[in-house]
Order: sequence, then C-alpha cells, then structure tokens
Amino acid sequence: MQAQQFLTEVPPRWWLALAVLFIGILLSYVVTVVNRRLLERAGVPRAIEGTAFERMAHELGTSTVSIVAKLSGYFVFLLTLFVALTVAQIEYTTLFWSGVVGFLPGLFLAVLILIIGIVVGDKVELLVQERLRGVKVPEVNFLPRLAKYSVFYVAALIALSQIEVATLALIVLLGVYALAIVLFSLVALRPMLQSAAAGTYLLLTQTYGIGDEIRIGEHNGIVQEVDVLVTRVETDGEEYIIPNRQVFNQGIVRVR
Amino acid sequence: MATLSELLADLVVDVDGVFLFSPSSSYYERFTELDEELVVVAPENTVGAETFVELPLEFDNVRDRVKFSIEGAMDRGMFEEGDVVACVVSTFGGDIDTTIRVRVGESMRSGVYDLFVNSRADPGVIRDVFEVAIELGQKGQKGKPVGALFVVGDAGKVMNKSRPLSYNPFEKSHVHVGDPIVNVMLKEFSRLDGAFVVSDSGKIVSAYRYLEPSAEGVDIPKGLGARHMAGGAITRDTNATAIVLSESDGLVRAFKGGKLVLEIDPEEY
Repeated sequence: MQAQQFLTEVPPRWWLALAVLFIGILLSYVVTVVNRRLLERAGVPRAIEGTAFERMAHELGTSTVSIVAKLSGYFVFLLTLFVALTVAQIEYTTLFWSGVVGFLPGLFLAVLILIIGIVVGDKVELLVQERLRGVKVPEVNFLPRLAKYSVFYVAALIALSQIEVATLALIVLLGVYALAIVLFSLVALRPMLQSAAAGTYLLLTQTYGIGDEIRIGEHNGIVQEVDVLVTRVETDGEEYIIPNRQVFNQGIVRVR
Repeated sequence: MATLSELLADLVVDVDGVFLFSPSSSYYERFTELDEELVVVAPENTVGAETFVELPLEFDNVRDRVKFSIEGAMDRGMFEEGDVVACVVSTFGGDIDTTIRVRVGESMRSGVYDLFVNSRADPGVIRDVFEVAIELGQKGQKGKPVGALFVVGDAGKVMNKSRPLSYNPFEKSHVHVGDPIVNVMLKEFSRLDGAFVVSDSGKIVSAYRYLEPSAEGVDIPKGLGARHMAGGAITRDTNATAIVLSESDGLVRAFKGGKLVLEIDPEEY
C-alpha cells in the first residue's frame, strides 16, 4: 500500500528522467567500446608506441587509446545526465547547468586536442631524433625537443581557444616564432637551397660528368665528384669545391 | 714450482700497451684502470673506448688483424719501433681466447691500414668494394668463377686515363656501392670486359672501361695476368686504389701506388 502511494507521489517526469539516464549509461558504454575498437583498428596503438604519454599511461595501468575512449564515454554520459535533469525539471539547477552544458563540448574538445597534441609532439620528437641519428653533434639534440614543444604549444593554443580563454597574446607569440623560423631559413639556408636546386638539375641532366674537363668562373679542371650541393673540380695539386649555385650563376665551359 | 698463471704472466710482462680485439663492454670495463695504454680494435666503437682502431674487414687471419691494428696505432704515433704490446684476441671466433706478445717494428707495416684509412676514397667505400669483390669471388657468376677489376677513387683522372669499350651501363645513373641492389647488379655486369670505375664517395661512374696507364715501373708479382697489370699500373699513374678479383685463382688483391698491398682468399670469409 505504502509502496503504491510512493509510486504515485513521484512525478512521471522523474521516471522519464531515470529512463533517459539509463539509456545514457548504456550509450556511453557503447561509445567507449566502439571508439576503442575504431582506434585500435586504425592502428593508433602502433603509431604512438614509444611516446612518453603512452609510456606514462602504461605505468598507470591503462593506455592512450582507452583514455580517449573513456573520455568520449564520460562525455556522452554527462550529456545524458543533463538531459535527464532537464527532463526532471529540477528548477533550481537549470540556471547553473545550462551554462555548464554550453561549456562542456568545448572542454571535451580541449582535453582531446591536448592529448592528441602531446602524443603527436612526442611522436614528432621521436621521428626527428631518428632522422638526426647519423649527425654526430651533441647540440643537435636540441632540434627534436624544439619540434616537440612547438607541437605542444600549438596544441595548447587550440585547446585554450576551445574553452574561450583569451589567447591573442599567445597567437602573436606564435606568429613571431614562425616568422623567426621563416626568416632564419631564408637568410641562413638560401645559398644551400639554391645549390640544392641547381645540384638536382645537374644530377638529373648530367650536363657534365665525372672525368669531364670544365671551367667554372676562373677554376679550370677535371670533375671528380658531383653531388647535390657541390661540385669538386681538380687540377694538379689543387681541388676546388664549388657550390652548385655558382655553376648556374656563372655558367660552365666544357673544355674539349 | 711454476703455476699456469705464470705462463701468462711471462707473456704480458713489461708490455707498453694492450690491444683488445672486439671486447664486450663488461670485459672492457675490467681493464680501463690499467697503467699500460689500452687500444680497442673492433669494427665499431661500441664500448666508447678512448683509443680505438676501426677494423674495416673482419680479417679471418689473426696475423692480419694484429698487423692492421699495430699499423693503425703506429700511424697515430702511439707506439714506436721496439715497443712490446700484448694483443688479446679471439682466434676461433666467439669469446676472447688468445694472448699474443708482439714487438712493434717496421716489419709490421703491410700497408693494409694505409690502404683503408689513407686512400683517397672513403674507408667505407673501399670496404664496400672489398665486400662486393669477396662475395663475387665466393659465388662467382652462375657457379663459374669470374674476374673483376674495380678502380676506386680519383675517378676524374682515371676516366681520363681510360676509354670506353662500349656504352656505359651506369651513365646517368646514381648508383653507389653499398646500396642494397648493387651487389646483384655488379655481379651481372662482371661478365663485361673492362674495369669498373668508382668515385671517392662511392658512386659507380662507369663499367666497361679499358684502362690505358703506362705500365712502366709497376712492381707486381710475375704470373699475374693483364687484369692485375692494368689495375696495378693505374694506381701508379693516379691516386686510385685498385681491387682485383682474379679469375684463375679466385683471390682478391688490392693495389695502391703500383704495389700489391693486400691479398685475401674469399673462401676464408
């Protein structure tokens, strides 16, 4: 008798809300599983193997993939929770929650972008390191780290702008940084790039080959080696190492 | 009453230096505190040794290995004539099993170290060409023995001292010795007559070259054929190194400065 009374006391909206909540839990579980499957199928675990974030996740007894999958699950669950609350029409909460609901997708995206940023940054560091393994200069270790933190920075910037934090100053900083890199490469690497472009042409067309006698500017001699950046020309006792862009600036004379 | 360890002590008494051949890092660590000068000889400096002689080829013959390393150390002025060194080396493969006492002297100089390190071409390139020649000597072309002549380094001058026998198959190509497919390619081309010309950086410049050096004053053992004579002579006229695989006896020989420097039997590798 009492139970029946209790049942009639509870407004039908609450039952509806409860149902919505139940569906929400189910849905969030499905989303978690499907997301994990999708990420694994896409080969994400292999791609991010060895990054610092993945290793940290492993130490905590989980993995990046399951973190991301769970995150999406929680997101769905929270969303349905709010829907349920709205359906239940609990008045005093609506005002607060409506603000939170508007904020939530941004937050979720921000966390996701941060995780992706960290993983991609780590991966970039590993790739650059791999590339530079042959270069045996201690200072070169600086480059992979620079690449990593650049990626981190950009990810943090995007994440912050997702949750609508004023990022203008940071963007200006990024712009200055990018400009500096462009300027640096333009000034410092221009001769190299010019030589490389000329060298590629020379290697492809073989305008002159090893053993030919040529004259470039004032240097006369026998070609010993042509590579992408320089041409080595030798006479008796002297070897000229001529940047390939000079070959293009000054032209070549083939001595027959 | 003499004990067995005295037998070894006699070998290492009063030595000026110790050569460790391809030691494992734990083995090396045990000897870092020695008073005598410690030299590590290995294909790669994996133990981070201070003085290190790179072994470009795994000489099967221990004598060659010891001679090579002593020559290398002498070249750096670490030891002088009359110094005595102990070489700790593995004779039968695997772990270190032999200690050799050697007196350093000019008779140790065979020119092999000089051939690899002080040639015009990069040491890695000479090693790669050696490996190609050795592999060619072991397998031959379709089971039949082949001969081949590689002229390495100073390619510009070599090209001017030679003429093409036919069209150059490597024209407008960018093939380097040591590239993965090259061994097969060179094996196929080895049936062509003439020499291969390889540049300082390892680019294969040409095949099918007829070498035209003047053969005056070339000092090579009598009985070797035209291929060896041509190879020896071109190294006297230019700064190149010639690596010759003999068709008749299957040995790989290296010439530098018109002289025979090294002779290896491919079957022993």
